[in-house]
Amino acid sequence: MLGSNSFAGSLVALTLVSSTAFAQVPPDPNNPNENVPEKATYMPYGETIKLDQAKKAADAALADATKRGWPMCIAVVTPTGDLVYFVKMDDCQYASIAIAQHKAKAAATFRRPTVVFERLLGKGPFFSYLTTLDGVIASRGGNPIVVNGKIIGAIGVSGGTGSQDDTVSQAGVAAIK
Amino acid sequence: MKTRPMLTLDDCKKISAAAEAEAKKNNWSVCIAILDDGGHLLHLARMDGASPANARIAIAKGRTAAESRRSTQVWEDRIKAGRNSMLGMPGITPVQGGLPIVVDNVCVGGIGASGVQSHEDEQIVAAGIKALG
Repeated sequence: MLGSNSFAGSLVALTLVSSTAFAQVPPDPNNPNENVPEKATYMPYGETIKLDQAKKAADAALADATKRGWPMCIAVVTPTGDLVYFVKMDDCQYASIAIAQHKAKAAATFRRPTVVFERLLGKGPFFSYLTTLDGVIASRGGNPIVVNGKIIGAIGVSGGTGSQDDTVSQAGVAAIK
Repeated sequence: MKTRPMLTLDDCKKISAAAEAEAKKNNWSVCIAILDDGGHLLHLARMDGASPANARIAIAKGRTAAESRRSTQVWEDRIKAGRNSMLGMPGITPVQGGLPIVVDNVCVGGIGASGVQSHEDEQIVAAGIKALG
């Protein structure tokens, strides 16, 4: 009984605090997110990537990683972020199996390279909201695969430093025109 | 210390290519997933026309076979025989189409396929394993 009473009490306190706080957060003139851009800038989605194209991109990335001696995971996904092709190189760390897929999915579904999130977060607290967006991964290595100005899929790479991952990822992107 | 065989990427590519060839020969669109003995994804190929669900299911079947070291059909058959409680086994996808990959009497991983009828899925993964020699 005592427990449920104190729980109700803390609920009331929380409600009071949050409604007061709601009224008391004025916009910060230094916050770039307060700006309302007139136009929407985006790259349209195109036809979904085929398995042959996905293999071509992944094989180019694989060749680049092999040449450099970097053990990595490479994932290729559709515009909706669904897996089409995946390889784990020998000796690649296990965490990268999920991270490579996550990077590919984020690059496809947000229609931008994952380095964008990484760089914006580095700019400071006005961009910390990015980590609350569903499916974000703020680490470079995920890049959209673009044909004729349209996104047909994305590739995600993980296993090395972010910069190594992105180098290999871009080698994969470059193989598809 | 014990040493044991382990699948390499080259092995996975060989297995997957043979499985894909078997599917293509029959005009089947499927997804094929290969995992190591701990259920970690090593290789996946989703053929054109196979659905995102097929990718999830292929992984689940391959993982079941790898981790339980037996064919997913064994699980399906047990349940069909009336052992309904097997439906509650954690991490088990009891549907035919997943086989363990056994080398020198050691289970080194599993392979799963999804996209056609279950016995056809199994035909595909069996063809893949055969390519390992």
